[in-house]
Amino acid sequence: MNLLSLLIFLPLFGAALVLFLPASQTKYFKWITLGFCAVELLAAAVVYHYFDLSNPSFQFVEQTDWITLSLGSLGAVSIDYLLGIDGISLPLVLLTGVVMLVGAVSSWQITSRQRAYFSLYLLLTASIMGCFLALDFFLFFLFFEFMLLPMYFLIGLWGGPRREYAAIKFFLYTLLGSVLILVVMIALYLSAFDPYSSLNAQTIVHTFDLRYLADGHNYLPNSLLNGLSAHQIMGLDARLFLFLVLFAGFAIKLPVVPFHTWLPDAHVEAPTPVSVVLAGVLLKIGGYGFIRIAYNIFPDAAAEYATLLGILGMVSIVYGGFNALAQSDLKKMIAYSSVSHMGFVLLGVASLTPEGLNGAVYQMVSHGVLSAMLFVVTGVLYDRTQNRQIEAYRGLAKPMPAYTTLTAICFFASLGLPGFSGFVGELFTLMGGFQSEFMPKWIATASTLGIVLAAAYFLWTLQRMFFGPLWTQKGVESLLADLTPREKIMLLPLAALTLVLGLFPHFIFDITSATITEFLKKFSLN
Amino acid sequence: MNLLIAILLLPCLGFALCFTVGKALGHRVGWAAVATTAAGLVLVSLAAATHQPVDTFSTTWLRIGSTPFSFSLYYDNAALLMLVLVHFIAVLIQLFSIDYLKPQSDHRRYFGFIQLFILAMLAIILAGNLFQLYFFWELVGLCSYLLIGFWYQKPRAVWAAKKAFLINRIGDAGLLLGIFCVYQQFQTTDFSSFANQDQLTTAGGLLLFCGCVGKSAQWPLSSWLPDAMEGPTPASALIHAATMVAAGIFLLFRIYPLLSPDALVVVAVVGVFTALWASYSAVYQTDIKKTLAYSTVSQLGLMVLAVGVGAPQAAMFHLCTHAFFKAGLFLGAGSIISSTRSQDTTQMGGLASKLPVTFVCYVLCAGALAGLPLLSGFLSKDSILVAAISWANGYQRWWAYTIPALALASVGLTAFYVTKQVKMIFFGIARNQPPTLPIVESGWFIKLPLVLLAMLSVGFWFSPNPLQSESNWVVPFLGNNTVGLPMHWVGWVSVITTSVGILSAWRVDYRRFTLAKKSYLDILFDHFLPKYVGFFARFFNQIDVKIIDRAVDYVGISSVILAHIIAWFDRHVVDGLARLSAWAAGFGGNVARSFQNGRIQSYFVVSLMGLVLIIILFLL
Repeated sequence: MNLLSLLIFLPLFGAALVLFLPASQTKYFKWITLGFCAVELLAAAVVYHYFDLSNPSFQFVEQTDWITLSLGSLGAVSIDYLLGIDGISLPLVLLTGVVMLVGAVSSWQITSRQRAYFSLYLLLTASIMGCFLALDFFLFFLFFEFMLLPMYFLIGLWGGPRREYAAIKFFLYTLLGSVLILVVMIALYLSAFDPYSSLNAQTIVHTFDLRYLADGHNYLPNSLLNGLSAHQIMGLDARLFLFLVLFAGFAIKLPVVPFHTWLPDAHVEAPTPVSVVLAGVLLKIGGYGFIRIAYNIFPDAAAEYATLLGILGMVSIVYGGFNALAQSDLKKMIAYSSVSHMGFVLLGVASLTPEGLNGAVYQMVSHGVLSAMLFVVTGVLYDRTQNRQIEAYRGLAKPMPAYTTLTAICFFASLGLPGFSGFVGELFTLMGGFQSEFMPKWIATASTLGIVLAAAYFLWTLQRMFFGPLWTQKGVESLLADLTPREKIMLLPLAALTLVLGLFPHFIFDITSATITEFLKKFSLN
Repeated sequence: MNLLIAILLLPCLGFALCFTVGKALGHRVGWAAVATTAAGLVLVSLAAATHQPVDTFSTTWLRIGSTPFSFSLYYDNAALLMLVLVHFIAVLIQLFSIDYLKPQSDHRRYFGFIQLFILAMLAIILAGNLFQLYFFWELVGLCSYLLIGFWYQKPRAVWAAKKAFLINRIGDAGLLLGIFCVYQQFQTTDFSSFANQDQLTTAGGLLLFCGCVGKSAQWPLSSWLPDAMEGPTPASALIHAATMVAAGIFLLFRIYPLLSPDALVVVAVVGVFTALWASYSAVYQTDIKKTLAYSTVSQLGLMVLAVGVGAPQAAMFHLCTHAFFKAGLFLGAGSIISSTRSQDTTQMGGLASKLPVTFVCYVLCAGALAGLPLLSGFLSKDSILVAAISWANGYQRWWAYTIPALALASVGLTAFYVTKQVKMIFFGIARNQPPTLPIVESGWFIKLPLVLLAMLSVGFWFSPNPLQSESNWVVPFLGNNTVGLPMHWVGWVSVITTSVGILSAWRVDYRRFTLAKKSYLDILFDHFLPKYVGFFARFFNQIDVKIIDRAVDYVGISSVILAHIIAWFDRHVVDGLARLSAWAAGFGGNVARSFQNGRIQSYFVVSLMGLVLIIILFLL
């Protein structure tokens, strides 16, 4: 079996195992999940080991005919089971391996309905991997949709008091995104064809192969999305319009302001491991979708709208930062900081510069590691006292010194302190935005406000919760025990990882560089 | 092994030492830290002694596409001077700290942070390009946060630490944009290439200058420095003398070749304004450390002014002399604080006889700060004043002379507040409460650094003729010096100004200058800015909650309502039609069935009707 298929089917197998084991084996479910996640990370590491860094195109490609339909005079449609990995997806696959493993450790605290929980968790792992590995748009969409199901139940069944509201909001928002993506898929289906199969079959073979969709020659003359035809939708060029539709679909996932309000609610209600996965990996599918799908298929529109997208990135950065400053719930504060930090991803992608795009992928990895750490940190406190209000605590440094040290490291890393990964991501996305020929300089300039705001909300929180004389609102001092070994096992490797990535960022840039250099050749100034 | 790399690795080692075996070492951890830094000083002396150029170092940190971003070390005379300075002062300050910190417990955290601080500062000094400098520049910010907030159970200390970091972050954001400007214009940020570059755009230069404004506490980003006094006193000495605030001046020295004339005018104006404003503020302070803090801001203003008027070497000269006497003053203040357990000069007085060593050292350093002849401060201040006047001569606008004039005024004010402070601490009657508390001088580990620093505040070290600033060795050492003709009259004017300051301070009643009002900058940064940022934050949050989220909720609710409407339609209209047709069919069936009721008469009637119908049809 091919390695990439293994990455997808391994957790599926684990999920099946958890589902079909007898109830007497419940105590092993968490071990099974942990084991499968560990092997998954190992498999991702093996992929990295055999990955050729200098090769910009897809590697480990795996292609099997899946659905072929003959539509008579309308031609044929072929949908493939097509997997592959390149410099853009590999860092995210590795990140997924790490975050899912941390999430698995964090899931050990789940005590109710373990069979359902752990099988859903492994199912989620499989569908996330599928998203990053699929090269057929149809297959991608399938995994993308499939992700919703476990996520909905994980929030809706194991979440906090308002979990149903949050789960439904999450589901509807993301479903709206899916519908937007589906619309574009239909338009692509009407326009694009597979040149080789069409030649062989003497008929038009429609395809969802992203490699073909990326090439402007593979669009039928005078079809909706052919670059030379002048179709218009609502007064806009069809390609521009459908790019915006696709962008909005992924913008919900990233999330970009104003499509972001599902995120704080989902985070606040989700149990800690689900928050870890949600912020750590799921948001990245939005950023990955921009690069792999929207920008790949519509390079002309992406260049045309660079300024608009850059502004949206800037607004996310600044707006998210201000909102984080206004929160009184620690988890909500961190959720808004995610909005702000993912804004850097959009800014970097929109800049269409090597610095910006490499920086954006790096920022996704960095934010994945850091947000996982941030949510674990929040969970530590919540597990002890069931209270996440910032005002409810003062002087936590005294009873919980190790916890305070790791929180401080995590906060400083997140606010972009050099030496940690957050700095590198912000540096290069801002630099890309500043150097971009596609957007004016004031966008990146205004975005630097984000790094000041990040320092403000993180340090203010640190000051209010951790320093000063010890005090708690409800007299829960006795509950404030320092970190348990299990919590240290989650936090220490993440802290080490953000430090290593911050000091030696070339681990990521060496992976991304070749692919992105090739990718950027598609874009030119009109 | 590369000497410079070794110099950088030593504080790394010290940092690691403090946090690994620090617990086992206990209070001896301070000695380990002192030894590490002293070893560094030996290495630096080795570098200074070699006459052939020291090996520099360069490696690629990362590569984006084909663009390399390198980690490289840049070594020149300015770097050497700073290396010596930082190591020397750091050794003395750590030595001082061992005794000073005794009652407190967490020595390893303290010395660990100090080592990290030294590392960051050394790396700034040796940085080969601007990106690298920025990397360690932020790290300096972190260390200042950790040290100012060292006593983290004091809310005020943590608040001050946060304020320092945030205000520095504002400056850093500007610096970062400035670095982008440099990179975009020249495709490189290597310091070695700066001498041959064209000028940077004025905007780019001013953005770079923002970094200096933050870190070197220039107006308007100066208000963090007086608050930073919440940290341990030796840490303040380190921040004020050799590490943090010096970084800004060093940055200006490095980027000086890129700055356009317009940018330099702004630099000079900001510098002189800061110098004057801070020395005026210092006059009203009664806290021993706060006075010194404002005095640092004002002296930094003079250094920035020196860069602005085209004499970066003079700025570095003043940085050097200032580092020694300011470290001396802070350590002296530390010695006074640990003897009297008070920082309030209104509670002191008459300490000259009780703390004789501290008194002599403090007065020497204070004299250097005031710019008394024969002491080091006189020489460097004179160089700056001469440079300012030459610049004004060259500028050929009448208002250009206001800059040296204002600088001179700040010199006079400096003499005034220094004298006032010395008089309040050491002379007159003892005002300490309760007066019975015995005041004894601290041990030799506290006195020795003090004595050394006081000795280094004497002018002979810097110039064979301590009455003539142009005979100093520092300025030529740092590069060509074309400041112009010596102007001996400037020295006289400066001495007269200083004397006026000293005499008037000696004569006036200090009680007229004890009411420190909160400065407008403090009000701005402590009240208005948090208030308005908080307002914005809540405003945006309200948008989120009241507009975006509410819209989403309404969409959700209205779709549910729509669903109910459709359900009603479905039930009553669509379903109704269906039921109607069902009913019609049933009715028809019933009607038809009623014909087949099993009675022969009915069948007969139906047959007859059928027959009649057929006949009618045929007839038609």
